[in-house]
Amino acid sequence: MNVGDDVISVRGLTMGFGDRVIIRDLDFAVRRGEVFVVMGPSGCGKTTLLRHLLGLQEPISGEVRYGDERFTGASPQERERILRRVGVLFQGSALWTSMTLAENVALPLEQFTPLPASSVRAVVRLKLSLVGLGGFEDYFPWELSGGMQKRAGLARAISLDPELLFIDEPSASLDPPTARRLDALILQLRDALGTTAVVVTHDVATIVGIGTRALFLDAESQRATAEGAPSELRARGPAQVRAFFEGSVPGP
Amino acid sequence: MTSRVREAFRRIAGRRPVTASPGATVELRRADDASLRVRLGGGWRLAERLPRVDEVERELDRTRAPRVTIEDAGLGAWDSALVVFVGGVLDRCRARGVPVDARGLPPEVGRLLAVAQEAPVAVERAAPRPGVLERTGVAVLERYARLRAAVAFIGETALALGRFGGRRARFRSQDLWLLVQQSGAGALPIVALVNFLVGIILAFVGITQLRFFGAEAFVADIVGIAIVRDMGALITGITLSGRSGGAFAAQIASMKITQEIDALRTFGFPPVEFLVVPRILALTAMTPFLTLFADATGVLGGAVVATTMLQQPLSGYMRRTALAVTAGDLVGGLVKGATYGLLIALTATLRGMQAEGSAARVGDAATQAVVTAIVAIIAACGVYQYVFFLLGW
Repeated sequence: MNVGDDVISVRGLTMGFGDRVIIRDLDFAVRRGEVFVVMGPSGCGKTTLLRHLLGLQEPISGEVRYGDERFTGASPQERERILRRVGVLFQGSALWTSMTLAENVALPLEQFTPLPASSVRAVVRLKLSLVGLGGFEDYFPWELSGGMQKRAGLARAISLDPELLFIDEPSASLDPPTARRLDALILQLRDALGTTAVVVTHDVATIVGIGTRALFLDAESQRATAEGAPSELRARGPAQVRAFFEGSVPGP
Repeated sequence: MTSRVREAFRRIAGRRPVTASPGATVELRRADDASLRVRLGGGWRLAERLPRVDEVERELDRTRAPRVTIEDAGLGAWDSALVVFVGGVLDRCRARGVPVDARGLPPEVGRLLAVAQEAPVAVERAAPRPGVLERTGVAVLERYARLRAAVAFIGETALALGRFGGRRARFRSQDLWLLVQQSGAGALPIVALVNFLVGIILAFVGITQLRFFGAEAFVADIVGIAIVRDMGALITGITLSGRSGGAFAAQIASMKITQEIDALRTFGFPPVEFLVVPRILALTAMTPFLTLFADATGVLGGAVVATTMLQQPLSGYMRRTALAVTAGDLVGGLVKGATYGLLIALTATLRGMQAEGSAARVGDAATQAVVTAIVAIIAACGVYQYVFFLLGW
């Protein structure tokens, strides 16, 4: 695994709904093995960016590339093949509520690998114990707390050993200690599985705690106004980014 | 085979990516000190067929090795598949008290296993499956509890309706008007279509049977009386069970599951007044109107068949219908319609309020609402037949 090459590159991406542009001319690259954070205030287009990276929404202009493959404009089959290497943890976990945790994690394995049932069970047990939910195989999502649902969502996201993990607001609606544990877990999995992570969040503690590099999206100017190591941005970034870290309203 | 053809075959052969690394291999060897050496090589991918831990287990039991070493004998690309296998070997060895040396493996494998074993949570899932007697008992108690809840719900609804009579019920009047529009005017096309078709069917059946007696001219009497007395209201009721009943149950069930109903309660809006009363009022009020409309389209359906098959003039058919159908038939049909509307709204809101758990339950609530409403309507229809018969109507 060569560290440093670009797993995702985004060029001149302009996103929006109909005529309403949210962010224009976005350029950035995610490097292998890093935790890349997309940050910014609510409504700045963080989640919209994630939806573009996953092909759930089409760009107004510009393109997304995975490695050296074009993703924007690729055929549905090619997209499916590229996205097979991607795992996603949605903001609300998005666990399938009519299935148990084990079935949630097992479904992609049953669908996309030739593993016999006994091996699927073993892999499911491993994934669930990786997120600290060993023994909860037969629980339904609604029987769990919010933090446990998030972890179960993470177990499902890593079921196929993705190269890339997308995480939308990992700490949303979690208490700070639970949120920090989830952050630590994301780092552990990154170290152990060698996964590259793209994390979308407005939680300063998460950004500083796990981010290798961060991209700041600004709703007002509709552009990415800063990119760099979180600690660097917090100390020496543009005024508006520093204000975001401090939780204050930027001055005139 | 050219490479392009091979590529095409590969694409057809399966959706999973075909990796170049050779398959996983396990080699079992006895070392000089009697320990068992498990040598792992090749690519270990979830997307490929994998060796089974059972073989190692069998070898372990056969040789009674005092020690096991797991070694890297040329491992290729690997993922969780390797970790699962190594974890399995470790478990089997631990169960037999055999020490394992896995230092020869990539350090990431050890790290992953460490994370997995960090917090072994011992969870006691539900107790073993209870016996037949216990299950029967539990089922009966559950049914009883549901029945009690249904009776309580009906009582609560009756009280809330009473408060509405006294103008003290709390709900938004625009909700009521929206419901009236949705479940009344919105249902006109489907009610018209279904009843028109029923009128046609009745006329066909009537004509073919009456022809044996040369009495096909009386088809207007049969269609008119059947539609106005019963079928109009019944068919409208069944249509509305699916249309409005299913919608009511799904709306309320999803509000229950997303805690919107809890939110209403905390603000001091009793959900029965806020959600159930307007739905009952809207459907009970609108179903007689829809039934009236259904009667008209049903008779029209019969007229279409009679005028084309028997060359009866339309005016004659209508006159026969007017002679056959009494005002009592018409009013009786409308009363039945109102009753069916009440039953549909009541069962649908009850099923919605009983929903618990997750999004999957919304579908269950809608299904149960429709089934219960149809059964209730047909049962009510039977009761009305008997009562009207006794009254000599």
